[in-house]
Amino acid sequence: MRPSRRFFVGITTIAALFAVWAVLTMVTGTVSTGRFPSPLQFWESARQVLTVGYADATLFAHALHSLKLVVMGFLVAIAAGIPLGLLMGWSRRAEAFVNPVFLLIRPIPPLAWIPLAILWLGLGDAAKIMVIFFAAFVPSVINTFTGVRMIEPHIIEAARMLGTGRRRMVREVLVPAASPMIFTGLRLSLQASWTTLVAAELVGALAGLGRVLNVAQQDIYPAMVMVGMAAVGVLGWATTRLLAMIEARAMPWLPARA
Amino acid sequence: MSAIVFESVHRQFERDGKSFPALDNVTLTVADKEFVALVGPSGCGKTTCLRMAAGFEAPSSGRVLVGGVPVTGPGPDRAVVFQQFALFPWKSVEDNIAFGLRNRKVPADERRERIAGAIRLMGLEGYETAFPHQLSGGMQQRVAIARAYVLDPQALLMDEPFGALDAQTRVVMQEELVRLARVNPRTVLFITHAVEEAVYLADRVAIMTRRPGRIKEVIDVRSIRAAEAWDRHERVEDVMDLESFVHLRTHIWRSLREEKVGGER
Amino acid sequence: MTADARPPSAAQTVGLGAVGLALFVGIWLALTLSGIVPRQFLPTPIDVLTRTFELLAHPFAGATLPVHVLSSFERYAYGFLLAAAIGVPLGLLMGRFSWLNDIVTPVFDGLRFIAPIAWVPFAALWFGTGIGGPIMIIFSGAFPPCLINAYRGARFVDRNYIEAAQMLGTRNMRTILEVLLPASFPSIIAGLRVGAGIGWQSLVGAELIVASAGVGYMMVQGQSNISTPTVVAGMIAIGIVGLLIDVLLRRLETHVRRRRGLA
Ligand SMILES: Nc1ncnc2c1ncn2[C@@H]1O[C@H](COP(=O)(O)OP(=O)(O)OP(=O)(O)O)[C@@H](O)[C@H]1O
Ligand SMILES: [Mg+2]
Repeated sequence: MRPSRRFFVGITTIAALFAVWAVLTMVTGTVSTGRFPSPLQFWESARQVLTVGYADATLFAHALHSLKLVVMGFLVAIAAGIPLGLLMGWSRRAEAFVNPVFLLIRPIPPLAWIPLAILWLGLGDAAKIMVIFFAAFVPSVINTFTGVRMIEPHIIEAARMLGTGRRRMVREVLVPAASPMIFTGLRLSLQASWTTLVAAELVGALAGLGRVLNVAQQDIYPAMVMVGMAAVGVLGWATTRLLAMIEARAMPWLPARA
Repeated sequence: MSAIVFESVHRQFERDGKSFPALDNVTLTVADKEFVALVGPSGCGKTTCLRMAAGFEAPSSGRVLVGGVPVTGPGPDRAVVFQQFALFPWKSVEDNIAFGLRNRKVPADERRERIAGAIRLMGLEGYETAFPHQLSGGMQQRVAIARAYVLDPQALLMDEPFGALDAQTRVVMQEELVRLARVNPRTVLFITHAVEEAVYLADRVAIMTRRPGRIKEVIDVRSIRAAEAWDRHERVEDVMDLESFVHLRTHIWRSLREEKVGGER
Repeated sequence: MTADARPPSAAQTVGLGAVGLALFVGIWLALTLSGIVPRQFLPTPIDVLTRTFELLAHPFAGATLPVHVLSSFERYAYGFLLAAAIGVPLGLLMGRFSWLNDIVTPVFDGLRFIAPIAWVPFAALWFGTGIGGPIMIIFSGAFPPCLINAYRGARFVDRNYIEAAQMLGTRNMRTILEVLLPASFPSIIAGLRVGAGIGWQSLVGAELIVASAGVGYMMVQGQSNISTPTVVAGMIAIGIVGLLIDVLLRRLETHVRRRRGLA
């Protein structure tokens, strides 16, 4: 009966928090709505941005813009990161070749690339994709690399004794064998992509959820800030769920987790 | 011809910067279509021998030949059954068995036929689309054997293939292997710790000394099996009850015990 | 598992690495010196080094580089310590008392998908851009790993320890302090390390957006002055500090693990 109790407690907690929020902001006025919006203000702002729009576009357009950039940066990063991770994992010589440069770049947090990206590419989409690339690239390389190194040697030997050529070795043995770790890397990459995009858009952008947050902050419009944050959370959640679904589809052979 | 020949094979290994011998002058021939079992104390170098024949390792000196040609690397003419099964967890039973055939670009029709044959032979019908983790240990082992057999390899290299099985499954697998050997005889190098298993399955049993390993003694089982007509008995336990069997087994046991207790050379 | 029949020798490893590094620096130099990329956008490695040394002594954006780094680090330390001081005890309590876990988890899960950096506007609104705002951002980045790892550590402590403690009549508070805390220590340290990394990242982000001091602020100033070497010098400084924090906590982690015989 524990799951149902958990569910009940969860619902109650959320409801209680909501009630406290409503009472403090709307009834007693303990919390100034100039700093923390009331549920009503939140609702009004959400309606405003959904219908009329805010910061030059509707919420839908902003969200789509952000989503597009995240997906593009993420895809470019993993399209480069997974093969590099495979190569570095598979060949110690390739690892030795790439490692010093990789170690040099890796400690720089992706967010620290933002000013450089703006200098090079301005405030448009290209700069965002560049920083998302740097954010999403590293986790996908590292985890793919680790995934390959963790492959049971017997599996590779079995493939060798069955006469597997290079191409089939990569496609049918290395990639599937490393795929649990590769997906771990993708999850981290996706998370990093969102964080970086929001930061980059906050620093400067022409559209997107970060711009909603930025303009709302400048307008001292806390309810809109909250709407923007909620949108960031919902999109982050949705893309993570989507990736989890792809992961489950891609690896039906994994024993079901308890 | 697919005889496996070890010609004065030596193998050194490095550990902690020191080099030590694992195999010392191993000379052994597994004739074409002969079943040779390799027994010896733990760590004496049995797996190392098998891995050399498979092409995963090279001798430090001496030669390993298969079918008269020195081994340079692994290949589908020598199928290996690993002690740890080494199935591909992401492939179904069918796809595991098909993998080697696809590598060889066997046409789809022929492939389907051979896979179906191997599945029947190993009693895996109904599990074609199951993934390895959905099978019992014994079934996984049978898939590993089917994956090797389906290639119709010149030589089969099996490293304690039944080591991880429970007693009942083990007996079933032994009987199956004997049956297969009659239907489709192959050159087999078979490593085991179980002396009974070696005597029951093999044409000859090679006993190794403790490390550094050498071939100490090779015992001809085939002539006794024929003379005493072991093949009349269907069941393992009936064969194992025969006086001639017990005699051979005891002989090998003694030989191995010498190695373990007083065998330091 | 790798494809190499035998691993490359130490000399080969160093050699290959040197070639890789030389190629990297070579392409960089070729791009800048040939004029394909204007030097203003991509300074040469020498420009960057010169600028870095210059910044050590000459103030830019109100302070020298070391002073910027120190001011960043100060805020970082406050935010991180706050996250650890709240996250670890809360995680332990959640591991010990499942009702608390049932209450906190839905709230936590609801906030989990909001990138820490999205808190910047609120942080600025509530706590200003001086020290309070950035601290809140670091906190929001470093808090989740601290909490989760302490929770996991406490949750998966061998029941036997707790039951043994209870059998000996140990009270709840002491069970937590003397059984749960030490037993989940390795997991907690691992969480602190992850949190420290995310916290440092978040600080950099916060300073880029709202700050009036710190390395991030210096970089933004460099960006608006189109002083690319300053920006790259900032990146290097951030990388080095982040690396030092990581190395330090990694040391601590292996030390703790080794003492527990987990190494
Ligand atoms: N790659 C290696 N590096 C260093 N030493 C090795 C390596 N492979 C095997 N050895 C050593 O060589 C010796 C023989 O090993 P091998 O695995 O062939 O023994 P075995 O007869 O198969 O033993 P068991 O019956 O326990 O499986 C052992 O002492 C082992 O430690
Ligand atoms: Mg062995």
